[in-house]
Amino acid sequence: MNSSSQPAVMFQDVSVRIDGLTILENICAEVPRGSATAIIGPNGAGKTTLLLALLGQIAYDGRIDVAPLQPGRPVRLGYVPQKLDFDRGMPLTVMEMMVMGHQRRPLWLGRASKAVRAAKEALAAVEAEHLARRPAGALSGGELQRVLLALAIRQEPEILILDEPAAGVDIGGEHLLCELFDRLRIERGFTQIIVTHDLSLVTAHATDVICLNRRVTGTGPVRTTLTTAVLAATFGIHLGLADIQAAQSGRPAPPGGHRHD
Amino acid sequence: MIDPSALYDWVGRLVPLDCMKARFMQQALVALVLLAPMAAAMGVQVVNFRMAFFSDAISHSAFAGVALGLILGLDARWTMVGFAVLVGLGIIAAGRRSSLSIDVIIGVFFSASVAFGLAVVSRDRSVARDVQRFLYGDILTIGDTNILLLAGLFAVLMLFQATGYNRLLYVGLSVPLASAHRVRVRAYQFVFAALLSLVVIFSVWAVGVLLVTAMLIVPAAAARNFARSAGGMFWWAMVVSLTSAVAGLLISAQDWARTATGATIVLCASVWFVVSAAPAALRRRQRRL
Repeated sequence: MNSSSQPAVMFQDVSVRIDGLTILENICAEVPRGSATAIIGPNGAGKTTLLLALLGQIAYDGRIDVAPLQPGRPVRLGYVPQKLDFDRGMPLTVMEMMVMGHQRRPLWLGRASKAVRAAKEALAAVEAEHLARRPAGALSGGELQRVLLALAIRQEPEILILDEPAAGVDIGGEHLLCELFDRLRIERGFTQIIVTHDLSLVTAHATDVICLNRRVTGTGPVRTTLTTAVLAATFGIHLGLADIQAAQSGRPAPPGGHRHD
Repeated sequence: MIDPSALYDWVGRLVPLDCMKARFMQQALVALVLLAPMAAAMGVQVVNFRMAFFSDAISHSAFAGVALGLILGLDARWTMVGFAVLVGLGIIAAGRRSSLSIDVIIGVFFSASVAFGLAVVSRDRSVARDVQRFLYGDILTIGDTNILLLAGLFAVLMLFQATGYNRLLYVGLSVPLASAHRVRVRAYQFVFAALLSLVVIFSVWAVGVLLVTAMLIVPAAAARNFARSAGGMFWWAMVVSLTSAVAGLLISAQDWARTATGATIVLCASVWFVVSAAPAALRRRQRRL
């Protein structure tokens, strides 16, 4: 089988229990290569837990197969966390943050010009080159997300993982960010996995979807998966009732009004 | 064995003060010039990782290390070093496995090792005098063997800092981000903890259990205020740590002062910290404007 037609990620019967509490139960789902797959569900549905399992940061039962583009090589991941919980008083410029993972020479002996060039390119790709000299702690929510995106892209990822990337960003900014993700994904050909609870982002920007509420309530291409029944099973009955009209006209659920903060 | 007396003579000539004519002062200065940069470099990460409590736990494990030496009939200086490294690695290993927060785990290790040390020491009155040496430190009695050991540790530690500084910064920024971006977080955490334990326990000789954490934290905290970048923070910590160590030693030896060396060093660093508050305040104001 050609590795490019394999799914980028396969979750096989993945369960996560923490202190006897079941967070995820028998998750079976696929992330097609080159897709923008959204993982959606209400708060507490286990979306972030599924990502952490994928990143290998929590213990789980079952299997998660991540297929590298070139067999035998480790998969390169890019990760943009929901909200980077870091020490904002730390003296660290955006440029230092961009190069620290790519040069061995310690930052107190200066920056390698090759790493600086590549960092500038990555910042330019997310329209954030003007932030290079700023202290990382002084960035606004939206600026920080852009820099984190640049940091993830600098990994030249095969799979870009975004956890509620627009959480701290205003609504206009959210869609701008998502347009940026779309453009980068098409330009660079990576697979994108995005966790969100915002259905308007899913309908506008995702190709595939995994609906979660501790279990998989539906998975597949967005157009055929987001039915009223699936949404009701994912988010609870109230949403299903509100969407009867949409279901009758055969369209996916309308965006907006479904935030579960 | 290498004879460092030529080095001491040179140091004596380099600092032409009366107090520096004594061999023990020359030895103390050499030891501090080795120890201060190590404390500064590790302190940068201790502050960034918020590990001040960790270094406190290691320094207090000295009691248990000494007690262990008494029980086993071994040289207390070695059991102290070995036990400190074990406690350091133990805390990191337990922290990675347990769902308890890291400061609770450190607290448990801290209390257990202090209690063990005090229990053993309380049985034997003759040791109680030695305990005071650990509390206040005794840089003026440092010998050739210890200085050579410090030099060895200095080489290893600076090599680690030169090759690992950026990765450690990544880990300090965010563990999930660093590990997703292929930094070997676990390896760095363990090596860092082991080296930090060594630096802390060697610093106990110099400034005593009570002030070890200050030796790590205060220069790094001042550096954080002075620096605008992660590279700059390293150099500022070096400057603050080295100048405080040298000034502290020289002041403590003056007739008008006659203070404990460790305490004087930490006081000098604290003066630096007060001075550093000014540029930090200025920068905050600029940001608000």
